[in-house]
Amino acid sequence: MTLLQIEGLNLAIHDYPILHDVSFTVAPGQIVGVIGESGSGKSMTALAVMRLLPDGARATGRVILDGQDVVHLSEPELCGMRGRVMGMVFQEPMTALNPIQSIGDQVAETILVHERVSRAEAMERARVALARVELPEDRFPLTRYPHELSGGQRQRVVIAMAIALRPKLLIADEPTTALDVTTQAQILILLKRLVQEDGMGLLMISHDLAVVADMADHLVIMRHGRVVEAGPSPALFHRMQHPYSKALLAASTHQPDRAAQPQDTPLLQVQGVIRDYATARRGIWGKPGTFRAVDDVSFQIRRGESLGLVGESGCGKSTLTRAILGLEEVQGGTIQLDGQPVFTGHKPNRAVRRRMQVVFQDPYGSFNPRHRVDRLVSEPFHLLDTPPQGTARDAAIAEALESVGLTPEDRHKYIHEFSGGQRQRIAIARALIIKPDLIILDEAVSALDVSIRAQILDLLADLGDRLGLTYLFISHDLSVVKQVTDRVLVMQAGKIVEQGVTADVFAAPSHPYTRQLLAATPRLPEFENT
Amino acid sequence: MLRYVLKRLVSLVISLAVASLVIFLAIEVVPGDPAAYMLGMNAQADTLAALREQLGLNGTILERYLSWVGGMLTGDFGTSYTYRTPVAEMISERLWISLPLALYALTLSTLIAFPAGVWAASRRGSAVDMGVMGVTQLGVAIPNFWFAMLMVLVFAINLRWFSAGGFAGWEQGIWPAMKSLTLPAIALALPQASILTRVMRSSLLDTLSEDFIRTARAKGLTRRQVLWRHALRNAMIPVLTIIGMQFSFLMAGAIIIENVFFLPGLGRLVFQAISARDLIVVESVVMLLVFAVIVVNFAVDVAYAAVDPRLRGRR
Repeated sequence: MTLLQIEGLNLAIHDYPILHDVSFTVAPGQIVGVIGESGSGKSMTALAVMRLLPDGARATGRVILDGQDVVHLSEPELCGMRGRVMGMVFQEPMTALNPIQSIGDQVAETILVHERVSRAEAMERARVALARVELPEDRFPLTRYPHELSGGQRQRVVIAMAIALRPKLLIADEPTTALDVTTQAQILILLKRLVQEDGMGLLMISHDLAVVADMADHLVIMRHGRVVEAGPSPALFHRMQHPYSKALLAASTHQPDRAAQPQDTPLLQVQGVIRDYATARRGIWGKPGTFRAVDDVSFQIRRGESLGLVGESGCGKSTLTRAILGLEEVQGGTIQLDGQPVFTGHKPNRAVRRRMQVVFQDPYGSFNPRHRVDRLVSEPFHLLDTPPQGTARDAAIAEALESVGLTPEDRHKYIHEFSGGQRQRIAIARALIIKPDLIILDEAVSALDVSIRAQILDLLADLGDRLGLTYLFISHDLSVVKQVTDRVLVMQAGKIVEQGVTADVFAAPSHPYTRQLLAATPRLPEFENT
Repeated sequence: MLRYVLKRLVSLVISLAVASLVIFLAIEVVPGDPAAYMLGMNAQADTLAALREQLGLNGTILERYLSWVGGMLTGDFGTSYTYRTPVAEMISERLWISLPLALYALTLSTLIAFPAGVWAASRRGSAVDMGVMGVTQLGVAIPNFWFAMLMVLVFAINLRWFSAGGFAGWEQGIWPAMKSLTLPAIALALPQASILTRVMRSSLLDTLSEDFIRTARAKGLTRRQVLWRHALRNAMIPVLTIIGMQFSFLMAGAIIIENVFFLPGLGRLVFQAISARDLIVVESVVMLLVFAVIVVNFAVDVAYAAVDPRLRGRR
């Protein structure tokens, strides 16, 4: 028996084709994982089932849910089904809730829209739904507003809204992508439990092979709007036929070759660093409190080494990064690069600053869209006392662009002309142009598709070997850190709780928090890498 | 919520104190002795001294500031140099025209802008939307005094529905008074309504593209339900800001319209006082306007908090 049957679904937005002949099924109680990179059409497939497509979209084919062909239903009929027969959970929990309505009201609304019940009864059922997603009323009153909850808790509220009427099909579009690994693991367990309890079908969409592999009964791999391969999980991992599926799998576990050996001389020395933030004052005449974001952190990076720093959001990773870069003054301890302090007195030390560069996560937000690539890439020149001019400047820009696999002609383009992966290459070129010793990669590959991520990791490894670079690799993604670092630091609540050789820490974590992180990290099933 | 309001109140008092000091000092440094100006070129030194004494122009700056503020707090705004009448009386007389006019215009502008903005946003890209955008473009572009003169021509001179100017006075009853304020209020409201419509539309469109709107649609709400239940209140913050600014402007910015319709409002009073160098009047009217602006901002802040729980602070 099938619950959802997608047959020959085609979709075009303003005559631009998005989906081609997509077909698969979901049975009651079954978890179907749809995997693909950005632009594969996986989210559009989900929205087509909900019929929440953008303006100008036209779908043909059949999407039969619970005996009805969704493609041919009228808008009022669809409104009657959304939330009742099919529910949906979205990627971004921070913005998925109405900020000015209480969580109780928002969950109760699902019930009030579909059933003629009193508000009191709807609230009572909202209470039950919230309790089912582990937000019990004694700790999370219905009068709470979204801004009073964490990302994971908000995602639970969204799930409660979607399952309040016990729909037959739940669609989850990257439900855990924006969350920390431990929160992700909890949400995945919750979704699994709800599927078992209600016997509903779950269509789970993700870019992360490992997340879906753990969960799904059946996998659908999509690329460029087509299903390239589908089959039961985990058997599919062993029997993959399509070259794209194989490439995707290989990229997910890609291990770049790194030849360079770290030297014994320390490059960066961080000693007892403390970073306090002032918090809001209590009352109008109260004293501001302090929040210790980085608490007595000490470590070293040797020249040529690749050091990983892992931890969940809010643990102080980014604060520590800013302190190392000399962007903010620390309240205690010292940071030295090659024996030179990052801060002298209350001023950042330019001589040290020009030897460190950073690459950030967001390849879209970290460039000024109105500047051409040559200007963007040559920005760090302002750190030099005598920046190169004329042909010397041109040569430096060309060299930086070539070293990241772009051409010198790309210098005349604007940033919107590049893809996400190319932008991240430009960010790396910008970091390389003043020939720094240390490059800090702050979630630098987290926003990239797995195949692009593999290429960037290869590029970084290659640059490290050729230019003798030292990396501080900051990430929440343990599997990537495992592949590219020599040693790793684990940070929790401002403190380094464990540090050691990466392979050792991953094989035998000693701190309970590290063990918790590793246990929560989704893993691909063991398979023969051919 | 109470804490938030208290905090805003404290900042209101501080703003008022700072504003009064700035206004007082600004008037102090204006060149020209009001007493000398009033008595003319050939004044005797002793007459001048006597007038200075009478006007309270002697004493240290601090003494004069304190007596000015103290007077205002007890309702004594001083005496006008030129008219020799208490300033408080003059202002309250004018306020009874300017305040109702401002409220009248603001009400009209809001009543036009809300439905028009919502209508245009809910049918984005349609003929309705383009029509609303076109009309509001025109409304912003047309100078309001020209529109006022046009209305006088049509409604007062040709159709004889309204009088061409002047104020009937409240003692004649509410209707005649409101009637004489109607054309000026429409003239004032036209550009304001156009701006507010555009703000309403774009704010609503921004809100309609937010993630939580999609979440609400996934719950089964229709487009219309999503608009009324989720989008509208979220779209109010920029609209409230503009309404607050418009009210402040309407209180004093009506001077051209007051002149077109011969209305003895605050704008004309301050204009006359400046040309006659009647500094006490200028000072008092400016302080009053600043007071109005600060109080309106306070009200807008409180309205923000009523709309948005995030501003009320954590529990």
